[in-house]
Amino acid sequence: MGAFVAKRLGQAVIVAWGALTLVFIIVRVVPGDPAKLILGPDASADQLKHVRSDFGLDHPLWRQYLEHLGGVLHGDLGDSWRLGGSALGDTLERFPATLTLSLVALVLTILLGFPLGMLCARRPGKVLDLLVSTGSLVGQAVPSFWLGIVLILLFARELGWLPATADGSLAGVLLPAFTLALPFIGWLARLVRNGALEEGAKDYVRTARAKGVPEGLVQYVHVGRNIAVPVVTVLGLLMGNFIANAVIIEVVFSWPGIGSLMVDAITNRDYAVVEAAVLTMTVSYIALNLLVDVVYFALDPRLTPENA
Amino acid sequence: MRTTGRPGAGGTHMGRRDFLAMAGLGSASVLVSGCGFGGGGGGAPKGALRAAFGQPVTDLDPYNAATAVDEASLIVKRLVFDTLVRRQGDRLVPGLASGWERTNDTTWVFTLRRGARFHDGTPVTAADVAACLKRTRAVASAQTPLWASVTKAEARDDHTVVFTTDGPLGSLPVNLTLLFVVPAARVADPEQKRRPIGSGPFRVTGFTPSTSVELARFDDYWGGRSDLPGISMPYIAETSSAITALRTGDIDLLWPIPPDQLPEVTGVKGVTVEPVPSWTYYLNWFNCSRAPFTDANVRRAMCQAVNLPQIVDRLFGRGGQQMRAPIPATVAGYAAQEPWTYDPAAAKRLLAAAGLGRGFTTSMMWFDATGPLSRELAEAMISSWADIGVTVRPQSIEKAQWLERLNSLDWDMNLQTNTVTTGDAAFTVGRLYTSKAHRMGYKNPALDQLLARAAAAPSGSERDGLYGEACKIIWSDAVGLFPLTLVTGYGRSSRLTGFTPAPNNQPDLAAVRRR
Repeated sequence: MGAFVAKRLGQAVIVAWGALTLVFIIVRVVPGDPAKLILGPDASADQLKHVRSDFGLDHPLWRQYLEHLGGVLHGDLGDSWRLGGSALGDTLERFPATLTLSLVALVLTILLGFPLGMLCARRPGKVLDLLVSTGSLVGQAVPSFWLGIVLILLFARELGWLPATADGSLAGVLLPAFTLALPFIGWLARLVRNGALEEGAKDYVRTARAKGVPEGLVQYVHVGRNIAVPVVTVLGLLMGNFIANAVIIEVVFSWPGIGSLMVDAITNRDYAVVEAAVLTMTVSYIALNLLVDVVYFALDPRLTPENA
Repeated sequence: MRTTGRPGAGGTHMGRRDFLAMAGLGSASVLVSGCGFGGGGGGAPKGALRAAFGQPVTDLDPYNAATAVDEASLIVKRLVFDTLVRRQGDRLVPGLASGWERTNDTTWVFTLRRGARFHDGTPVTAADVAACLKRTRAVASAQTPLWASVTKAEARDDHTVVFTTDGPLGSLPVNLTLLFVVPAARVADPEQKRRPIGSGPFRVTGFTPSTSVELARFDDYWGGRSDLPGISMPYIAETSSAITALRTGDIDLLWPIPPDQLPEVTGVKGVTVEPVPSWTYYLNWFNCSRAPFTDANVRRAMCQAVNLPQIVDRLFGRGGQQMRAPIPATVAGYAAQEPWTYDPAAAKRLLAAAGLGRGFTTSMMWFDATGPLSRELAEAMISSWADIGVTVRPQSIEKAQWLERLNSLDWDMNLQTNTVTTGDAAFTVGRLYTSKAHRMGYKNPALDQLLARAAAAPSGSERDGLYGEACKIIWSDAVGLFPLTLVTGYGRSSRLTGFTPAPNNQPDLAAVRRR
C-alpha cells in the first residue's frame, strides 16, 4: 500500500506542476497589463515601470517562471497585488467555503440520487425510470448559472423558503448546493440503477431473496455494497467537479468561496491569486482521487494495489 | 476500532467499517467546520443595516491607486475615515475641519476639530493630515491631477494645517472631500487594505474582498453615535439575487437598481424606490487624433445621426436622462447646451462635405460591466450610424484589455460610463479634456487656457461660467457624444428612515435609522 500511495503522490506532483505551468503561461498570454489595472488610466510611465519592477513583471518570462517555481517549492505563490496579502493565504482562507458548498452538494447528490436509482432498478422501464433518465439528460444540459437564477426566483422570491444569497446560515447553503447537485442527481441515479440491475440478476441476490430477506435489505445492503466501488469512483470525480463548477455558482449566489475570488482575480489580472486558486483546486482534485483509490481497498477486500 | 487477536498486530487494527466510519466522520467535521465560512474575520453586530451596492469592494486602503475613485470603496471609506470637508447636498460643510479660510491666493488654513480620535484611540492631529496629503501626492491615481498644484501641507500646531498651492486653486475644498485621514504612521501600512484605522463613525470588523464588508459603530466618534449598531455590505453580483434579497427583506438597501429592473421593485410591499439623477453618465468619445475623427464635422455628423431621445427613452426609461452637456446637470459648473438634432440627412451632408459621402468603416470599444445596458446602448447607436453609411465594428472587450487600449489611444470610439466623483466640473472637464491629459486625442489651446482659469477661480459664478464655456467648446466640437446621465434607483426597506439618496452613489449610511 505504501508503494502504491508513493507512486500516486509522484504522479500527483507531475500533474500539479503541469497545471501550474499551464496557468502561468495562460494568464500571461491573455492581453491586459496588471500594472495599468493597479494604477488606473492616470498613471505615468515611470509609475507603471515601478509597479512592474515591484512584481517582477519586467523580467523575461523564463526568469519569472523559474522564480515562480522556486517560490512554489517554498510554499510562496507571491502576493496578491489587489488584495495585499499572500495569494495562497487568501485562497486558503476562502477554500473552506467552497469545500462546504461542494460537500453539501455531494451529500444531496447521494441522499437523492442513490435511493432514486434503487427505486428505478426495482421497476425498470416504468414512469419513474423514464422520468429519471430524461431528467438526467436535461439536468446536465441546463447551464448551471441559469438553473441557479431559476431556483432563486422560485425558492427565494416566489416561495420565500430560502435566502437568495449566502447569509452565513445553514439555509443559505442549500440553494447553491442544490443548484450544484441537481445536474448530477439523475446521473448518479442512472449509475446506481444500472449497477443494481446488473447485480440483481446475480446468484447471491437470488439466494438472499430465497432465504426471505426483506427486499429493502436485499437492495440496500447486499446489492448496495456491491455497486459501491463504481459509485465511489463517480463520487470522487463528482466532488472534484463540484469544486470546479462552484466558480460560477459562487458568483450567482454571492458565495464567499474560491470561485468568486478566482473570477475577480482573472478579471483584474491578479496572477498570483489565479495561480494559487488553480493550484488549490488541482491539489484538492488529486487528493480526492487518491482518497478514492484508498477507499476502494476498504470497500472491497479482494482488491490489492497489485490488482486494482 | 476493534482489538484484533492477530499475533503481532499490536493491539488495534482499523477495519473497513471503521475506516468508512472515520471517513464519514471526517467529512462531516469538515462540513461543520466549513459552515463558519467568511474568511474575512468578524461580522457586523446584530441589528446591522444590510446594504448592497452594485459593485464589489476590493480594498479599503484610501491611498490605493486602483480604487482612488472607485465608488464601492468610497462608500465604505466615507464610513470608516473622515475628510476635512464634506459634501452635504450642494454644499460643502465642515468635516474633521471645524473651519477654513483662504488667507491669500496660494494659502489655505484649516482648523481641525478638537476631540476627534482614531479607532485605535489616538487623537487626530494636523500632522496626520499633512502625512496623508504627502502620501496621496506620491501615489499616481485618478486623483493625481486634483493634487498636482498643492505643493505642501504643514502642521502649524496640533489643530492647524496649512495648505500651500503653486497658484490659485479654487477647487481645494471640494478636492479635500476625497482626502481620507489616517494616522501618519499608517499611511503606507499594507494592513490598511484589510483592517484600516480611521476616525469615521464605523470601524471595520470583517472584510472579505469582493464579497462583504462588516462594520461596527465607533462609539467615540466626534460627531455622535450612529443609531445603527453596524453596517454589513454584501456584494451580490447577480442582479436577480439582489432584487430577490431586497424583496424578501434579506437586505435593507440596494443600489443602483438597473433601469430594466426598476419595475421588479416598484410597488412591492415594504420596499420604497427612490430614483435620483446621478453624477454617472455615459460618454462615447471619438478618437480626435485618428482619421476621420480628426475632422470636427465628421464627429458632428456622428452626433446628428443618433436619435438619442428615442434610444434613451426606450432603453432606460426612468433610469436615464438625456444629457445636454458633457457633464450631468447636477454637477457644479454644468451649462446646458443645445441638444444635437436628430437629422440623418444633415449628417450625410456633413460627411459628404468631409469627402466621406460613401460613408466609412470604424469601430467602437467598450466593456460590458462599464454600466447598465451598455451593450444595448452600443448596438442602438451602431444601428443609427449604419443609416448614414457608417459601418461600426462593435468591440466588446474585457476590462483589462479595454484599459490597455484606452491609455494608448488604440481605438476609434470608446463607450464607457464615467463619474464626476467630487460633483464638480474640475474633476471631469478640468482633468480629462486638457491637451496634456491626452485622453481622447483632442487638443485645443483655447480650452486649455479656459480650464486653467477655471481651476484657479474661487467657487462662485465666475468659476461656473468658465466651466460653462468649457462645456460649450467640448459639446460644439463634438469631442464625444454624451448620451445620458444614469438615474440611480435606490431600493430600500420602507422601515428605514433618515436615508437620503445621493447623486454620487455614496449615501451617508451613518444617518440611517430603523423605524
